[in-house]
Amino acid sequence: MNISNISRRNFLKGAGIATGGLVIAVALPANALPANALAEKGILPKTSATLNAFIHLEENGDTVIYCGRCEMGQGISTALPSAVADEMEADWQRVSVKQGDADEKFGPQATGGSASIRVMYQPMREAGATAKAMLIAAAAKVWKTSAENCFAQAHFVINKSNQQRLGYGELASIAANMPIPEKPILKKKSDFNYIGKKLPRHDQGEVVVGKRIYGVDTKLPGLKYAAIVHCPVLGGSLKSLDKTDAMKVKGVSDIVEIPRFDVPFGSIGGVAVVADNSWTAQQAVKKLKVEWDLGENALYNTKEYKQQLVANVEKPATLTSERGDLDNAFKTAKNKVSATYTGGHLSHAPMEPNASVVWVQKNSCEVWASTQSPADIQKVLAQYLKREPKDIVVHVAMAGGAFGRKFKCDYVHEAAVISEKTGAPIQLIWSREEDMRTGYYHSINAQHIEASMDENGNVTGWLHRAAFPSISTLFNPALVRAPEQSLNDITNHLFGVENFRVESGDAKAHTRIGWYRAVYAIFYGFAFGTFADELAQKSGKDTLSFVNQLFDNNKNEAQQAQVQRAKDVLAIVANKSAWHKRSSLPKGQGIGLAVHYSFQSYVAMAVHVEVNGDDIKVLSVDCAIDCGQVLNLDGATAQMEGAVVMGMSLALSTEITFKDGAVVNSNFHDYPVMRITDMPNVNVHITDSDENPTGLGEPGVAPFAPALSNAVFAASGKRYRDLPFKPLSV
Amino acid sequence: MGGQRMQHSMIINGKKHEIDVDGDMPLLWFLRDRLEFTGTKFGCGSGLCGACTVHVNGQAIRSCVTPVSSLADQKITTIEGLSENGDHPLQQAWLNNNVPQCGYCQAGQIMNAASFLAINAAPTEQEIDTAMQGNICRCGTYQRIKKAIVEAADTLADTLNKEA
Repeated sequence: MNISNISRRNFLKGAGIATGGLVIAVALPANALPANALAEKGILPKTSATLNAFIHLEENGDTVIYCGRCEMGQGISTALPSAVADEMEADWQRVSVKQGDADEKFGPQATGGSASIRVMYQPMREAGATAKAMLIAAAAKVWKTSAENCFAQAHFVINKSNQQRLGYGELASIAANMPIPEKPILKKKSDFNYIGKKLPRHDQGEVVVGKRIYGVDTKLPGLKYAAIVHCPVLGGSLKSLDKTDAMKVKGVSDIVEIPRFDVPFGSIGGVAVVADNSWTAQQAVKKLKVEWDLGENALYNTKEYKQQLVANVEKPATLTSERGDLDNAFKTAKNKVSATYTGGHLSHAPMEPNASVVWVQKNSCEVWASTQSPADIQKVLAQYLKREPKDIVVHVAMAGGAFGRKFKCDYVHEAAVISEKTGAPIQLIWSREEDMRTGYYHSINAQHIEASMDENGNVTGWLHRAAFPSISTLFNPALVRAPEQSLNDITNHLFGVENFRVESGDAKAHTRIGWYRAVYAIFYGFAFGTFADELAQKSGKDTLSFVNQLFDNNKNEAQQAQVQRAKDVLAIVANKSAWHKRSSLPKGQGIGLAVHYSFQSYVAMAVHVEVNGDDIKVLSVDCAIDCGQVLNLDGATAQMEGAVVMGMSLALSTEITFKDGAVVNSNFHDYPVMRITDMPNVNVHITDSDENPTGLGEPGVAPFAPALSNAVFAASGKRYRDLPFKPLSV
Repeated sequence: MGGQRMQHSMIINGKKHEIDVDGDMPLLWFLRDRLEFTGTKFGCGSGLCGACTVHVNGQAIRSCVTPVSSLADQKITTIEGLSENGDHPLQQAWLNNNVPQCGYCQAGQIMNAASFLAINAAPTEQEIDTAMQGNICRCGTYQRIKKAIVEAADTLADTLNKEA
């Protein structure tokens, strides 16, 4: 069902006529009627036009721009459409944004890796420029003049000779029949109206009055509500189930067993209760008597596992890359330093737990979900239902946070199982406890670094061993250690060290591992950034000069421009944080610096702390990012502010603990994410760059933890090498 | 009370609604699933995150742990009813400061702040922190939340001065 050429207003108007009283819930702008049904009835406005997959123009000039990438709070559904509007010379006040359903016409929709703007910036600008060229061609046709004699401005095409104006709405249907230009001409940076400016996000007005519809808010006629309890251990299965007490709960209609589905992003296995509201379903789930065969991962204990990872990196491991002659560098060293860094599992814990609505019928399957990857929903549900991916209709809902978790659609698969078995449209909402205990966790990890220096503080050799269960284990559970490509960010690090060896330590996965905002950059940034500070201490140099020297020693021609950009952001935060005046800070205070390159962007942070015994108070953070051309300056700033907060949570307090194969944490009391009382002043500095846009959502997370470790050391002499610094014992 | 139907009603955003569900049902689910007022969000189910904050007689409560049986004849305000035109000074300040990222927690943040400003119209930053510490924002918008509350308090103070 595709309504891409029906405006919401016309659709609602039309739906009332065509359906004779069918109630259309607010969460359902799109699903009830196919476009051609309306067209046949003459309800579709004949003068509106779809200029391409992303742009739809109404006769009155109202413009819908589609966002194909998934929105989860990163602001992509403002940023990308604003690039279209800019190139199109559309008036943003006349533009409304719609989220595209799963559809190849929107290009790649899987939203992760901080790639949306990097991948879609150019195509979206071209879509806008194409539309503009077609509108100008239409006006030229009307005026019987040349396109060169016309220009577009704020939703009008203007005739240069006589200043006549035609509105975009008036031109829409003519423009739709104009030839599509081969290569649309893009604007100069100096002519941008929206790109690089502080455009407010399009949906704020809805958010502050509670009208923004998230995946969890989907309502359908006849909707049934489900709650679930999962097998607590990866690889386990249902041993026995006594439904008696749960079935007695008034309002419960079904209890559905969901077997483990061994495909990537399939369910881990569980039992669901279906009822006439979520609360009843949640209450009844607690009355299920379930026993599980836990399988071999029931031996998984993170405390011991972390120690094992440390042991695995403190001895020779599997070589993944090497350059120079490390053994000789170590032999001839003036100084040698070594350290081991560790970190725990993390749960994404977005404020909106996993939720979706799925309705499986004999000849259709329709999904409404908060998701980062609609195509993966199509793939997994097609595998499960033995249908074609294209036959799975996926409506992409606003996600109430995701951070990587909603890339994996196990929760959608479960709703599909329940719907298939009950025949009803099912809304499955996970409890917070299930969300925390049934994750795809950030890798627990250990790294060991040994480095040699000469008498001038040049780093002559670097041995880097890393051990962590990798995301690759999702696709190949038999892997016993992280593969070479997962360690490439070590090998290609911008520090200039001639003699370098990278090794991968054994680390079999005993739970599901997944992308978490910033992914491996979290622990790579921590190890590189903290170790650089430790080396600086040993060399007697200050960290800023030492790190700059490390960069200057990079003689790889291909990396020179990158090195300069990394140095530049570091210089910004050193300057803004008054690094050179740090000796005049009060006792107990300190500033720490770190810089990290990830997701093709360069981020530096200066963290200012006050340390009192075990109490660490972050006072302020300066961060600088070079992510090439910025689309939305305010959105970019917000991403950096958010990255600092997420960095603080993982550096100071959040950690998922497994005992006997199962997660011990359950809710925000024992997974203490940062609160407003912890919030430092965050000052964001964004470089004005003409380079291609690169990652923004994730790279800001990486430098926080090392900068904090370095700041705490500067303030107190205490060195933290294990994330989080202050875990709750659960 | 469990299992019994209540013969009572409550006033939600100025309109009377029969309490026609199990008395143990938390207000959150009465709002979301029975009445389909989805502006109030489910976050933790245990009063730990504040996403579900609404007002009972003007005071912020966590609707996920407040059974409907305790709310007979009470006046409930949800984010949908905080202001007639979405122009409460806090809503305005939220827009001015571009506070929301994913926005999921923001209804709870705003409702909590509104209740707090009603009893403390000129809060210090520390008082804001203390009042708002029960509301989690995983996107990390705290800096802007704080700024927006200060701004809304100033607006309210101006309004009060003009009225006086």
